Amino acid sequence: MMKISNITKKFSRFSLDWRRTDTFESKIYGIIGANGCGKTTLMKIMAGLVKPDEGEIDHGGLTPRDITMVFRKPYLMGDTVYKNLVYPLKIRKITPDEGRVSGLLELAGLSEIRNQYAPSLSSGEQQKLSFIRALIFDPKMILIDEAFSNMDIKSVTRFEQHILASQQKNPITWVIISHQLSNIKRLCNHVYFMDSGQFQAEGTPEQILLDPQAPELKSYLYQQSF
Amino acid sequence: MLELLDQETIEIILRTLRMTITSTAISAILGVAFGLFLESLQPTRTLPKFFKWLVVAVNRTLMGMPPVVMGLVVVLIFTRDGPLGFLRLMFTFEIMIIAQVLLVTPIIAGIVYTAASRNGERIRAFAHTMGASRLQTQMLVIRELGNEIFFAIITGFGRAMSEIGAIVMVGGNIRHHTRVMTTTIALDTRRGFQDQAIQLGIVLMLVAFTIQIIADFLRKRERRNDENF
Ligand SMILES: Nc1ncnc2c1ncn2[C@@H]1O[C@H](COP(=O)(O)OP(=O)(O)OP(=O)(O)O)[C@@H](O)[C@H]1O
Ligand SMILES: [Mg+2]
Repeated sequence: MMKISNITKKFSRFSLDWRRTDTFESKIYGIIGANGCGKTTLMKIMAGLVKPDEGEIDHGGLTPRDITMVFRKPYLMGDTVYKNLVYPLKIRKITPDEGRVSGLLELAGLSEIRNQYAPSLSSGEQQKLSFIRALIFDPKMILIDEAFSNMDIKSVTRFEQHILASQQKNPITWVIISHQLSNIKRLCNHVYFMDSGQFQAEGTPEQILLDPQAPELKSYLYQQSF
Repeated sequence: MLELLDQETIEIILRTLRMTITSTAISAILGVAFGLFLESLQPTRTLPKFFKWLVVAVNRTLMGMPPVVMGLVVVLIFTRDGPLGFLRLMFTFEIMIIAQVLLVTPIIAGIVYTAASRNGERIRAFAHTMGASRLQTQMLVIRELGNEIFFAIITGFGRAMSEIGAIVMVGGNIRHHTRVMTTTIALDTRRGFQDQAIQLGIVLMLVAFTIQIIADFLRKRERRNDENF
């Protein structure tokens, strides 16, 4: 469980102004909104990467080790695919379970290249590696910032199915930022729409995407197909 | 060439290596630590941005400090009547190391700082998302900046090896004591023994080259070119 309330963050030409209280717990949440509306900034604050100017974050028993964030542009260490994948286990002094490792590599379609130098992967492969690297240590909260943007449809579908299936067995908290509204529609239980650094609307994917009320949301969704 | 490598020449070469390797090693530890520390400093109310800027500017100045000026400073500090004169270090092997550490540390710190400013933030953010501890984060930054740190140390080593202005002032080029390759070359040339100076110069370059090769061999293979962007 994570509770954020009244978060603000000012940059020189932008300010995030989240004047409300929201709880994130064991469900899949989506955040949508136009470029530069503050989605990444809000997510970085939730991940503890950016300190808000004001506001409170109640981690509700989650430690920094339980929360992870996957970036649009992954950071891969100058090492092999395998070494990158098991890095979170290494720092926890956990011996990697070969079955689990090869299962995740299989899911990402990276089994053949587990010994390749990770920065040389294609952009989609890099995103897939970064995604399974976040899964391998079983965090309780995963924040995803456009982490599927370079993946092909088949891979995205595979990951979506994996997320939904694992959510059935062992629910954790997901927060997903995506401009692919189809992802949001298929995955999320609850969706937030932001505009100019502020909350605008929330609801189920159906409410937000199919029956938008706020004018800003209507104009954002205009001509979006999914 | 062979007759050149008499007892005394070998002694000078070994002393030179001992001096440059020792001073580079000390400078590497100090410089890498200081460069990374400086980069990770976040401006706060008690520690304004200006302070960090000032430290960086001073360090940049020290990077290009003429060795003779550094020599002069060290002499002023360690001379008989100077603040640390009681240590009686003038014209010793140790004071040459001190002078070189003062010259080389800012160079290593400056290069490491610049490299870390480019990538440090991103590496630390990544480490945070992985749940790394402070120490694990530092280790990761050092590992990820490995090539840049290596380059910084090699540059510092080059400076220590080629430098003469400071060590001749503080060490005095004393035979069997503080005489090293650069000071010998300068002395020989001045006395008209150009041939010997040329030979010693060649040995100096060979030694420098050999060290580079050994260092390159010891280092992890550089694979930066394989990046797919
Ligand atoms: N470190 C920073 N310094 C100054 N401005 C920043 C900083 N980080 C973000 N901003 C500004 O904050 C605004 C919101 O950025 P943010 O990355 O949160 O947008 P976003 O909603 O994720 O957009 P996108 O859909 O394009 O990823 C932008 O206008 C950006 O310029
Ligand atoms: Mg963003």
